[in-house]
Amino acid sequence: MNRSWWVRFGLFLVVVTLSVVALIPTAMDFDEDTSFPVESKINLGLDLQGGLYMVLGIEFSQVYRDEVKTYAQRVIRMVNDEAGIEATSRGLNEADILDPKYTLGFVDPLKRDQARDLMREFYSGYVRVTSTEGSSLEFALTRTQKTQIQEQAVGKSIEVIRNRIDEFGVNEPEIVSQGDDRIIVALPGVRDIERAKDLIGQTARLEFKMVNDDIPAQTLMGWVEKAREAGIEFDNKTMRFSEYLRQLNDFLADDLPEGYQMAFEKNSRLTTEDAPMIPYLVEDESKLTGEQLQDARVQIDPQKNEPYVSMDFKTDGARMFEEITGENIGKRMAVILDGNVYSAPTIQARIGGGRAQITLGGGGFNSIMQEARDLALVLRAGALPVELQFLEQRTVGPSLGADSIVTARTAGLIGCALVFLFIMIYYRLSGVVAMVCLTVNVLVVLAILVGLEATLTLPGIAGIALTVGMAVDANIIIYERIREEIRKGVSNFKAVDGGFDQAFWTIIDANITTALAGFMLLNFGTGPIRGFAVTLLIGIAATVYTSYFVGKMIFEFYMNKTEGQDLSI
Amino acid sequence: MSAKKMFEIIPDGTKINFVKLFKFSVPFSLVLVVASIFTIVTMMDYGVDFRGGAEVQLKFTENIQAKNLRSSLSQAGFPNAIVQDFGAPEDHEFLVKLQGEEDQLNQITEDVESSLSKAFAGSGMQIRKVDIVGPKAGAQLRISGFQAMLWALIAIMIYVGLRFDFKYSPGAVVAVIHDVIIVLGVFSITHLEFTLQTVAAMLAVIGYSVNDTVVVYDRVREHEQRNPALTLTQHINTAINETLSRTLLTSGTTLFISVTMYFFGGMAIRDFFMAISLGVLIGTYSTIFIAAPTVLFFNRFDKGQQPKKAPPETTGAQV
Repeated sequence: MNRSWWVRFGLFLVVVTLSVVALIPTAMDFDEDTSFPVESKINLGLDLQGGLYMVLGIEFSQVYRDEVKTYAQRVIRMVNDEAGIEATSRGLNEADILDPKYTLGFVDPLKRDQARDLMREFYSGYVRVTSTEGSSLEFALTRTQKTQIQEQAVGKSIEVIRNRIDEFGVNEPEIVSQGDDRIIVALPGVRDIERAKDLIGQTARLEFKMVNDDIPAQTLMGWVEKAREAGIEFDNKTMRFSEYLRQLNDFLADDLPEGYQMAFEKNSRLTTEDAPMIPYLVEDESKLTGEQLQDARVQIDPQKNEPYVSMDFKTDGARMFEEITGENIGKRMAVILDGNVYSAPTIQARIGGGRAQITLGGGGFNSIMQEARDLALVLRAGALPVELQFLEQRTVGPSLGADSIVTARTAGLIGCALVFLFIMIYYRLSGVVAMVCLTVNVLVVLAILVGLEATLTLPGIAGIALTVGMAVDANIIIYERIREEIRKGVSNFKAVDGGFDQAFWTIIDANITTALAGFMLLNFGTGPIRGFAVTLLIGIAATVYTSYFVGKMIFEFYMNKTEGQDLSI
Repeated sequence: MSAKKMFEIIPDGTKINFVKLFKFSVPFSLVLVVASIFTIVTMMDYGVDFRGGAEVQLKFTENIQAKNLRSSLSQAGFPNAIVQDFGAPEDHEFLVKLQGEEDQLNQITEDVESSLSKAFAGSGMQIRKVDIVGPKAGAQLRISGFQAMLWALIAIMIYVGLRFDFKYSPGAVVAVIHDVIIVLGVFSITHLEFTLQTVAAMLAVIGYSVNDTVVVYDRVREHEQRNPALTLTQHINTAINETLSRTLLTSGTTLFISVTMYFFGGMAIRDFFMAISLGVLIGTYSTIFIAAPTVLFFNRFDKGQQPKKAPPETTGAQV
């Protein structure tokens, strides 16, 4: 055995050991807090463990309409500020609902052209002038602006949904965008499907409430602790967060000052796992809601080089905000989305003009930026409730999934046994080598699934079974080549060598073409179908390794030991 | 010599003149493809994924008649509900297919559950699976499914063109399109539903069929390089014969799996493996009888290097 062989053998041992280690938690069904170095098990798709899968569509026409109206107001204000030009609104044209246009009127064409030039100077990239006629000017959103709106709308819808799912307590929810205008929500293991659907279908509720800081935080903590001792405790597996809040506030009714209730800021919104919750005492009634908010953006203070969030209120909202801030200087105002506190900035001064800034606490530029982005997203989510449509809903009961696993696995094993049997009868000892290759193949595929934290679905199991059927192909190509060489009268030793050499590019070509189809499927598929593409692709990669490289390694060992006297193929 | 002990399904030195058989296989396939296109267009049953609507899978512990279910659903406001037995009779499982407006679809699970659990109280009704697809999503899925197949074909055509020669590309693609159309033809005539899973199966079939074809092409190319003096017809014959046992063995092992999965893998993936099994059978046939003649056909346009016609009556392949 030469040095190259030992290196390859070492690699093989490493691959097998790693695969086996990766699969032990799944095979032994370990708990998550095991002392075993690997914790992750194979994720079962919701077709195997039951759950809810939804595709939601976002209605953009309404968002575009609101946005173009906002710009109309801005332009009117801007031309007045900059050049004292009077502009009037002449209405919205929604002939094309995906490209709404807004008409502004001016005293004469001259002023109109001046205004047009100003718009090009100030809002190029955001709006485009579509036509000018007489004293009026029509404009619409630019394509880049619409794309940005789409991305924001998708982003905030995902944030809103995640927020609600968090409240619901689901392990490993998947909430991702698909294409430009769709969101996929996969909730494996969810039982109360109707309730989950209702929660997701609501539009976001953003509220601004005054915080009562007279009572120190320790007292609030004490109340939470007292409730906990009385058995009122949040457990994301058994109850919804809003339910916990209701119970807590009922329980503390005597302690709480009149007109106030408890609310919490969850430090990490992305996980439901034991995130520390900061208690707040807020007013029962909200001072202002998301409906009064026009927009919220992240901006950067050029002097301090610090990001902050700027909010624009609608006309009536601006007036209310001015009043509230005037009355509550020095107090904190909580920004609450769907019942959760996101931020509680202190009011520094009376704020008029409908524009407010929220500066954020310490930390580096990046962490402030992240915080600002999140807050702006939350504010916008409340400001512009995006209507979501249910495009697809698929639910699988838990028993069906369990049945599916058992039957598919059993059938897969029977199929593999048949293949093994056949290959051993046909190729004898070489068939046993192929069997070893195939077994390692399946092991590697499953281990990679764990490593990638990919999800195993029913079509995924089908993909693995199919991989076995197709992986034998590589062995067959090699063996048939070796036989051809033997028939030519070449020595066994050379036949094996030549067989592997000549088969190599055939195997590569054949597998790459299959992989191309797999990639297209990965791109097309969603949910369970994607699982098929994933296992198929992993299977192809594993096949090239196991059937060619592992097979060759075993043959070299065998030929060396027996000096190529007798080749059983 | 150990070669004597080898177990062979195709004896060494088999020389079937496949090229001669092309004159039967090509018209035969043409007829099948045209007939399949006709049945696909006129008879294909599109599943809930593409058609839109709702599909509810129900299981009872007691014996329930499909017609009773149908009448209860009709009373509950679903007069056009289609109720089918699903799986083995002792499972008491049914598939209910419903159509409706979008608003109605959103409520469908509750409506079905409340009306049926009243009508069949004590029968242990359980809703096992619900698929609701709105009309928009159905259209979207149709388009993306078609796109995925198209892109797969284009990608394969380019790859085969670059790795081999562009005279091979059309052969691989024609063979694959042939396979997909015939499998879908069988689906339409046997009233199996065309679903997302079918699309996935078709992509797997595309992968498998090209894989099969490429192995033969690989051989043809090898012989072309080794013996440039011989005609392409002769190379094709030799290549098919030499790879014949591999072609059949691989189809065999893949069929072992797909047929077992079809029979024992459960209802949820039965149609999927039906499509795969058909695809493997037809893909194997097309590798030999469709991909190869297409290469010959396109070779005629190839710089006029080859004789105008295939040389007359070579007695099998000769190396």
